[in-house]
Amino acid sequence: MIKSKLIFLLFGIYFGFVLSRVEASDFNLIYGMFTGADLKLAWVIITAIVVGCLGMRLLYALGNRTSGGQQVKVSLKPLRRMNIAGGLVFGLGWGLSGACPGTVLAQLGEGKVLAVFTVAGLIMGTYLFAVMKERWPGMDR
Amino acid sequence: MWEAVFVESWPWWAGGIAIGILVPLLYYSVNTALSVSTGYGSLIRLATKQPRLRWFAQQGFADRWGWRVFFLGGMVLGSFLAGRLEGRPFYTAEMGVFTELLSWSLPHYALYFLAGGILLGLGARLADGCTSGHSIHGLSTLQLSGLVATIAFLIGGIIIANLLRMFILGGITP
Repeated sequence: MIKSKLIFLLFGIYFGFVLSRVEASDFNLIYGMFTGADLKLAWVIITAIVVGCLGMRLLYALGNRTSGGQQVKVSLKPLRRMNIAGGLVFGLGWGLSGACPGTVLAQLGEGKVLAVFTVAGLIMGTYLFAVMKERWPGMDR
Repeated sequence: MWEAVFVESWPWWAGGIAIGILVPLLYYSVNTALSVSTGYGSLIRLATKQPRLRWFAQQGFADRWGWRVFFLGGMVLGSFLAGRLEGRPFYTAEMGVFTELLSWSLPHYALYFLAGGILLGLGARLADGCTSGHSIHGLSTLQLSGLVATIAFLIGGIIIANLLRMFILGGITP
């Protein structure tokens, strides 16, 4: 249990490091991607998807097993109407703050003070969802 | 070599490859899908002894010190290391062109980024995922929900960034 959490910590360190190194945490690049002025991050995302997809194919070809011999269980997300509405809300937040839930952590680590407010907002937004979900359990279908 | 890895910013392909291999690597080593935004729920769960809201009572939050806490914490640590090696200052009030072009007061900046964060948090939960879960993981595993959500993310981002450019940043793109 402790060992697996250490692995997640190491994966997190790696992910945060990479996001910072490729400037995914740079406000200008996110702004540039959405205004079409600089598509570097779009290419980062497209490359990541292609590499991720090829990697998953390879994992599948090798027997779809984890290093411990378990069957790999791919997490499947059902298609919902809220993928669209929620996605639009998310996109507005992405464009406003110049960060997504992952890259804002990289901004924080890099010492960008304003990212503290984005993180605080993310926590509040998540809590707000939990409150709304309590009242309207079917709202995110 | 040191300069290219730790000081100069990486080209798009290097970052893309490094991020993309996370998806199969996470499955291979811990049988887990790449996911970030749900981790903010884990942070709230960590701070509450007895969750009153039903959403926090779900299986994924049963362990207060769940893996997401470590993953998110690691991300802050990793980018902190990257910043130190790169030679960034420890902290900065800058946020790209946004703070370059505007001279708002701190409360205004705070409210602006807080609002952005709230939309991110609420939107990610309503959409059932964020850039990591839907765009990187979802599209890597060829899921329709990932495609639909990613297109919606992009539409929202393009709309707001262009409004920002026209009405707040004075038509300037970096």
